[in-house]
Amino acid sequence: MKHTSAQISCGLKIAGCPENAVDSAPEPKTVASAPERIALLKARLLKSKGDRVNIGTPLYEDKQNTDILFAAPGAGTIEDIVYGPRRVIREIVIRLDKEQTAEAFTPYPAEKLAGITPGALTEILLKSGVWPLLRDIVYRKVADPGQSPAAIWVAATNQDPFHPPPDTWLQSPQDRRFFQTGIKALEILSSRVFVCCAADTGTGDAQIENRITHRVLRGYPFDDPAVVHYHVKTRPEDNHAWFVNGQDVRLIGEFLETGRFPVRRTVAVSGQNVPGRYRHTRMGAPLGILADPGEDSGRRWIAGGLFRGYSSGPDFHLGLYETAVNIIEESGKREMLGFMRPGWNKPTCSKTFLSVFNPRPLAVDADMHGSGRACVNCGSCTRACPVDILPQFTYKCIRAGEIEEALSHGMLDCVECGLCSYVCPSKIELCQTFQETKQAYFRQRI
Amino acid sequence: MGWMEKNLRKLFDAPRKHFEPGGRLGKLGPLFEAIEDVFFFPAEATQHRPLVRDSLDLKRFMSSVLVALIPPLLFGIYNTGYQSRLASEMSAAFMPSFMTGLGIVLPIILVSYAVGLFWELLFAAIRKHPISEGFLVTGLLFPLTLPPTIPLWQVAAGITFGVVIGKEVFGGTGRNLFNPALTARAFVFFAYPAQMSGDPVWVAVKQKASQAVDAVTGPTPLAVTELQAPFNSIQEMLTDQGYTFSTLFWGHYPGTIGGTSALCSLLGALLLIILGIASYRTILGAVAGLLATGFLLNLAASPGTLPWFSVNPFYHLVAGGFAFGAAYMATDPVTAPGTDRAKWIYGFLIGALTVLIRVVNPAFPEGVMLAILFMNMFAPLLEYTEIRLRVKKRIPHV
Repeated sequence: MKHTSAQISCGLKIAGCPENAVDSAPEPKTVASAPERIALLKARLLKSKGDRVNIGTPLYEDKQNTDILFAAPGAGTIEDIVYGPRRVIREIVIRLDKEQTAEAFTPYPAEKLAGITPGALTEILLKSGVWPLLRDIVYRKVADPGQSPAAIWVAATNQDPFHPPPDTWLQSPQDRRFFQTGIKALEILSSRVFVCCAADTGTGDAQIENRITHRVLRGYPFDDPAVVHYHVKTRPEDNHAWFVNGQDVRLIGEFLETGRFPVRRTVAVSGQNVPGRYRHTRMGAPLGILADPGEDSGRRWIAGGLFRGYSSGPDFHLGLYETAVNIIEESGKREMLGFMRPGWNKPTCSKTFLSVFNPRPLAVDADMHGSGRACVNCGSCTRACPVDILPQFTYKCIRAGEIEEALSHGMLDCVECGLCSYVCPSKIELCQTFQETKQAYFRQRI
Repeated sequence: MGWMEKNLRKLFDAPRKHFEPGGRLGKLGPLFEAIEDVFFFPAEATQHRPLVRDSLDLKRFMSSVLVALIPPLLFGIYNTGYQSRLASEMSAAFMPSFMTGLGIVLPIILVSYAVGLFWELLFAAIRKHPISEGFLVTGLLFPLTLPPTIPLWQVAAGITFGVVIGKEVFGGTGRNLFNPALTARAFVFFAYPAQMSGDPVWVAVKQKASQAVDAVTGPTPLAVTELQAPFNSIQEMLTDQGYTFSTLFWGHYPGTIGGTSALCSLLGALLLIILGIASYRTILGAVAGLLATGFLLNLAASPGTLPWFSVNPFYHLVAGGFAFGAAYMATDPVTAPGTDRAKWIYGFLIGALTVLIRVVNPAFPEGVMLAILFMNMFAPLLEYTEIRLRVKKRIPHV
């Protein structure tokens, strides 16, 4: 199976999809854990600079719920703790030892799992630092172990360009067994476990194929579990659900089978001047070992997909959930009469450039392509929104301080896919505003 | 190209320091920025998620409307010149007509742009926000809705009213309730009726042959009713005056500068729909509303009613400024509702009101301007209603 371009629901054709070859990245010298990348987390450090840790040793905990622990993704010495603005903990960097020792937990292979209660399993996952792989579908933060979800969604694919398809991280029979064990564990936590997968993507295994409950057409962001959940739910009680990435289900299974904190990651690498490919590496690996685009000026590193990802760099490390690295151009070059050009090569969801006739997928870059203007109510965002929000009106409600009204418009259904901000011709930061408002609303509620 | 780019770059870099905050001409910063952005597209890096953005921006969005305005503009220039030379008993060949038309229309457009830009700039400088591209559209739409004989000072007064009262007092682009170009036209229409209505204003006749005016200029098609047509003879009346269906469609008759040709507006509307800039819902809704109301009034027509009751509804499509209004004015995204079903209703009611005003109210031979302004006022209500309906269907987060 070979992709030529990304599938985006608004019809965008993005170039640079990795070839379906998988290799191993060089061994990293450091790994890191990045609390800043976890939504709504206030981290309290449990270790300090210079301490020695094993794989699976708790590094920090959630201040709001100290049961939620975050484990070290490598064995070695804490070399540095990088702070960002307002002393947010950006990265905890661990210099790896030659010998990778791991904390030992009791293994629970598939057959032993059957007798375990949801409470006991929650306890096991919390203690080992595996729990944060489960996330809340509304706020996209770590799932609250005190609540029981209406459903747990597993996202087998992620079409945010470009993420590894399931057959890249389910290669060996062992991988598939881990994945099945992971699903079984989730079925203990909730009676409603659903697996959603993009329609044209195979998993390479009949048994896993049987596990898939929802096949999704139309591309990103329609295969996002939160979008599928939005279209499937029928009552207000269904709102509260969890989701897990497919790769993370494999990790949960691996942890239960082996009793070791799992660190394997398969990452899609794509972009300018780098061969696009899928690479096996470890959790928290530095981006620099995954790709080498040569001369570094004018490039933007994005970890976690083009739409959902964060700005990063070769010296930064992968966050807990990130499995994609894009390197795109950030030219900063002011094109002469740019807005009048026919635009044969300009990627767009609109129909105002000649590129609508261009069959080839096109390279995207990290430029705004315009400057901020007032909203003219053009409705592009409404057409792009996968969960039927009217972003332009919801945005105006928020700006006017009418949070109740914004909530009734479905602000909490926003899946933060970023398409509204992407298509906005006035370059309004819609997605950013929704995300911040959702988070502020959450903080105020507790 | 490279050479040109380098020198143009220098041209902007040299005086830049004066326009920066604190510079000698700091207040004119928005103007400098606006002009520079036209020549050199801004290339800011993305800061927030998503870190990629679409190539379409408001500048291209609005310039697409300008491109769609080229057919009515060019035809309007030619037709203005053609009618003028005809009335002045001069040769009405294509090129001389076009040049004469250019001489009449260009000053009107220039005044509209210059005065409009002045107000735009003044408000941008005081409010410290960038100049919005929407003004480029307003500044061209307004002159195209005027009669060619309009005195230039009235153009200036009109665009001033349109930009200041129609837009800036509401807070600028994106917040205005009424289409600024139509507000400007409505102002001129009611403030200076002598220059905006009546039979002689539609042809810019040269002075030396002005005695020929009465011979050549008759009533505009929608004012034909004033001739007291007998029942069921409105089409014959129109034909007698030279207004056959095809004349009205092609636009070879005296009228507003850009609004006479239904064909040109149709071309523009098609382009806007293909580009996805204008909503086909509004335009089709307006056409549907116009035809439906026209048919209904046909049914009500009797010898006792006004003559336009009995006209074939398709005449309403091509007569007067309806095509121009439906294609360019009704589709202004700011003043139209932003939701899909509301757009259908909004368009339909514009069409219906246009016919009602034209047919039932003898004081206003043309109705599309008032119909659109009236529906502009109701757009928020339509929008609000649809939002409430959509909210009702959502599963609430308690």
